Amino acid sequence: MRDADPSTNEREFLLAALKDGARIDGRKFYDFRTLRLTFGAEYGAVEVQLGNTRVLAKVSCEVIRPYTDKPTEGFLMFNTELSPMASAAFEVGRQTDEEVLVSRLIEKAMRRSRALDTEGLCIVAGEKVWSIRVDIHFLDHDGNLVDAACIAAITALLHFRRPDVTVVGEDVTIHTLEQRNPVPLSIHHIPICTTFAFFNNGERMIVDPTFLEEQVKEGDMTVTLNVHKEVCALSKAGGIPMEIDQILQCTKIAVVKVAEITAQIQAALEADAKKR
Amino acid sequence: MSRLDRTRTSAHQLRPFFSSQNLLNRADGSAQFDFGESSVMCSVIGPAEVKLRDEKLDKATLEVVVRPLVGLPGIKDKAREQAIRETLEPLVLSGLHPRTGIQIVVQTMKDDGSILATAFNATILALLDAGIPLKSILGAVTCIVDSETNQILLDPTTQELANAKSTHTFVFDNKSSITSSPENKDQEEAVEVATLYSDSTGLFSEEEYFECAQICYKAVQAVHGFIRTAVQKKLEKEQQQIHS
Repeated sequence: MRDADPSTNEREFLLAALKDGARIDGRKFYDFRTLRLTFGAEYGAVEVQLGNTRVLAKVSCEVIRPYTDKPTEGFLMFNTELSPMASAAFEVGRQTDEEVLVSRLIEKAMRRSRALDTEGLCIVAGEKVWSIRVDIHFLDHDGNLVDAACIAAITALLHFRRPDVTVVGEDVTIHTLEQRNPVPLSIHHIPICTTFAFFNNGERMIVDPTFLEEQVKEGDMTVTLNVHKEVCALSKAGGIPMEIDQILQCTKIAVVKVAEITAQIQAALEADAKKR
Repeated sequence: MSRLDRTRTSAHQLRPFFSSQNLLNRADGSAQFDFGESSVMCSVIGPAEVKLRDEKLDKATLEVVVRPLVGLPGIKDKAREQAIRETLEPLVLSGLHPRTGIQIVVQTMKDDGSILATAFNATILALLDAGIPLKSILGAVTCIVDSETNQILLDPTTQELANAKSTHTFVFDNKSSITSSPENKDQEEAVEVATLYSDSTGLFSEEEYFECAQICYKAVQAVHGFIRTAVQKKLEKEQQQIHS
């Protein structure tokens, strides 16, 4: 089932409002929607609500044999299948363009930016390494799936604890959660995505578009940064052409947003750690 | 006797229920149902447009999608899809919406045993939330026979499931009722119990099976009561919102 296009009235009202300097949900142009993080009872389960967009991330691990050409590298895998729960437009077993874009972006932001230390996942070189799997479930789609998924994935990885192991010679013992305190993953930095949508021939740009704004937009761009002001990934897939200055301005705005979100994630993680 | 999860004292005790309806904005109806630390979210879209291939001339087509918490959907999830679809088909008054489709998506949120029963309960709440006409309401409960003690434990956790000799999931509708016969007050007799779904795995005797069915039937009454209260509260809230 395809998503119905917004009516002409809706579209024109939104565009007219943007021209007058207002967004229909009352936000400022560079404001994120309210971000809420809820942790599950287990390690590595987090539900992220970005306004009405809802994403669940679950991290799990298993011991597997590494590739022979990379004997000390662990695995980090993402599963970002879009579920029809989020929107009727997503069909089971058929990848939409949007799904491909979302999974590629998450992959770039997390794995290729080396956010997780995969060498630290090695147990016995060439024999046993940890494989970390992040399942991202999209529950409700109200725009900006990428940012919500990125926040969910990195928060879940930060929250996750893997079982402790001891290696004596060739013997590997994996301790259950009851026997020994599980250990956190070593994470180098926290990449956060910030998505911009462009309107009015690229003159007006907004942060964190809703579903309606995404339907009406002329183009978009996602900047992935960490708190050290390093660009991890930058993606502008199509849409209207843009000035170089504008891209620089986007990254400058993103720096501020990333700092805010990182602080919120860390505060939520600390609050959760206190409860345990 | 204390159970493995330490929060329950009796073998025939269910974990605390929790439910909330209308959580998702894009779906027509949605609900979350929890049995303790097991949680399932369900969304319903429909009656809506259906693919030409699946269109039925005289009734609505039910489509159920079950998605696991970890990994890609496998055979187990396909089996659950079929179980839920075939149990719901006689319940939904699909003749009222011919040539349409009703899509049900079931997503496990937290897994601590008894997921199929949790999924059934979440599904019925989501269907109610979506306003899909139903013949009756279902309620589901899982029980196991412990391999060491041979005791029947209701609503098992993952830990308890590991020690199970056999596992039984039952779904009953809310139309049948227990009445005690006038001459023998202690003997409860189930009259016209409609079992909508029964799934058993493992090794068990005939007596064990019927005992499990009896215990689950009694436990399901609590689930029915809970669903009723949940729906009542939701409707009251909606009424208040309309009139305020």
